[in-house]
Amino acid sequence: MEFVLSQLTGFGGAFVALVTDPLTYAYLLVSVFLGITFGALPGLTATLAVTILTGFFGNKIPLDYSLIALLGAYVGAIYGGSYPSILLNIPGTAASAATAMDGYPLAKAGRGGEALGLTTTASFIGTLIGTIALLVFVWVLLLLSQNIASPEKALLALFGILLSGTLMSEDLVVKGWIAGLIGLAMAMVGLDPLLSEPRYTFGWSYMLSGFQVVPVLMGAFAIPQIIDGMRHMDVGKVAALKGRILPNLRTVRRHLPTITRSGVIGTGVGALPGVGEDVAGWVSYGVGKTVSNESDTFGKGSLDGLLCSETANNACIGGALIPLLVLGIPGSPPAAALMGAFKLNNIIPGPTIDPEIILRVVAIMVLASVTMFIMGIFTARIFIKILQIPQVVFLPIVMVLTTIGSFSVGGGINDLYLMLGVGFVAYFLNMLKFPIAPLVIGVILGGLFDETFRRSLLISGGDLMVFASRPVAGILLLLNLILISSQLPFIRRGFRRLRGRV
Amino acid sequence: MNEDDIATLRARDFWGALVLIGVSLFFLVRTFDIPLWGGNRAGVSGADWYNSAAIVPLGIFSAMLVLSVVLLIISVRAGGATRALSAVGIGWDRQEAIRFTTIGIILFFYIAGLVPRVDFIAGSGLLITALTFGFHRGLPRRMILAASAVALCGAYALIAHLPQAEWAAHDDDVVTLLAWATLTGLMLWRARDDRVLRVCPAIAVIAPTLLVCAMAFGFRQNVPNRGGIIFTQIEYHYYVTLRPIWRS
Repeated sequence: MEFVLSQLTGFGGAFVALVTDPLTYAYLLVSVFLGITFGALPGLTATLAVTILTGFFGNKIPLDYSLIALLGAYVGAIYGGSYPSILLNIPGTAASAATAMDGYPLAKAGRGGEALGLTTTASFIGTLIGTIALLVFVWVLLLLSQNIASPEKALLALFGILLSGTLMSEDLVVKGWIAGLIGLAMAMVGLDPLLSEPRYTFGWSYMLSGFQVVPVLMGAFAIPQIIDGMRHMDVGKVAALKGRILPNLRTVRRHLPTITRSGVIGTGVGALPGVGEDVAGWVSYGVGKTVSNESDTFGKGSLDGLLCSETANNACIGGALIPLLVLGIPGSPPAAALMGAFKLNNIIPGPTIDPEIILRVVAIMVLASVTMFIMGIFTARIFIKILQIPQVVFLPIVMVLTTIGSFSVGGGINDLYLMLGVGFVAYFLNMLKFPIAPLVIGVILGGLFDETFRRSLLISGGDLMVFASRPVAGILLLLNLILISSQLPFIRRGFRRLRGRV
Repeated sequence: MNEDDIATLRARDFWGALVLIGVSLFFLVRTFDIPLWGGNRAGVSGADWYNSAAIVPLGIFSAMLVLSVVLLIISVRAGGATRALSAVGIGWDRQEAIRFTTIGIILFFYIAGLVPRVDFIAGSGLLITALTFGFHRGLPRRMILAASAVALCGAYALIAHLPQAEWAAHDDDVVTLLAWATLTGLMLWRARDDRVLRVCPAIAVIAPTLLVCAMAFGFRQNVPNRGGIIFTQIEYHYYVTLRPIWRS
């Protein structure tokens, strides 16, 4: 009880400090607006919003303001994706793909205003559910994570990469794993963390410091988006927005069970390392379709279906921050970009993180969700106008933003060459349907994996049993093995046969 | 994805897997340059295999090789090899090739040629104009024209001022400004009735100017090519004309 009270007091202190600082509002308003704009424009994603702002704000302003800007953009962008999903039938972000299933039919039926109002409310409640989970579970996990040593960290990093590779693959799972391995391989470039042995530097002194996270993030997420976006320039016809946007409280109350369930699912999926908001949206939609009383209306303009995905993808944000803050493993691609900002400020997320930062993150999330709600309800029509601007106007500006952001972080032209090189590779990988998120997560976790794997072997004198003999490590090893073996053809065939018999 | 898309994808996978196998093998060979069994570098002895800096990369590239072979097998079984080696190719038509090549050229010359050597406002203004004019309606001739303008300026900057000691020269700034003005004039003449293209010149001037000023004077960060022809004037007047006003 004492512990809970002390946490609530700490949270209250962080919240009051934020609320009483006028600059908080300036950063919140701008970042949430930018976030919603990025989310609303098809082709620009939440990851891109956080990545670009990391380059722009990452280490140039005090950490508190930097976190406000990045978290505000993150929350805003995930919500903003619902605009084109509902009004254009084109998901603004992958996280809002499931929203389009029911949102567009509702808009076509003249209920666009109602759909947007409910989406805004659901996103707001979803973010709060994820934030509460962050506040509660992060402390429990932080206490547990004190017992996590090198073998567990190595296996956890591997699990994060494998899981994101498995769940983020559009085509073959093997491609997701290869993408993760490419990321890991990129992380091996430079001086190794234990012996300072140069690896794959090819005599280029710039490469001794390895691949910097921000240019890699910019290259992997921004350049392919820009190249790809230039291929699909014209915006479709935006459906007319009819009906009032302010949500009806009775309708919200009627759908509260769906919102709560979806919020919990979104948080849970977000807490899985490496799995993002898009998976959360679809999982929640799938569960909703299975358990809902009106499942036959799903895909034809069901409010339940709409709320399933929209609540879950915003709840996922809080969930995704749990593994990031507790273990230093990003829960989603935008969280990976956020990790880049932490690194720029010399903060290492994980068991050794300053608890004050977690409380501030929670307080910022609450304020960002309130700002998003107010902005969504009262300024929706501005974003609909923005939606009509063709991408060809925005993407060149994004390119300039990316360039100056990446340059100012590293302060050198080499970072720009790296960004461009990674960007072209990422574009081709995208074209071949290799997911990019596992690659970035591989780059971020590669150093951790290398160091903890070798440290474990060093402590055990080369005995590989160190990864199986400790209880938590044993469980993690088993999870990794299950994940790999679940993709083996004969095991998959066996499962299919078993399912057929059942 | 329909069946034809999947068939095209498997053909791409075939080439992709071959490239990945080549890359994995190359890096596996390079990994053996790192001491594995009892090497000694800079007075630090890597006496045991598990202490070696090569152990994790060996695992990574071996796993990549195995997975690339798996991908190759999947693509061959799905008919990807037959399709990849036939005239059907990897599913790119001429339009697609022009679009990608011109975007690639623009981005390459912008980053490699313009950003380090040319005034950031002039280089970025040219980039914004080239991308907007070239790709707004998807007309191949405009794409080629836009790419040529950026390539011309980028190549001139690269060839005339390759070493870093010459990056402060201004002749490439002038060439870029001329190309930007010509492209803008052509755009306004060709597309008088297009709202998007009409606002493009304003965006091309305002966006990079605001960004570079915010970065340099707001965040006090280094910006690309501080000695650029336009930025030196802005910087001079910021410190000499404007700043003293509020400092006093």
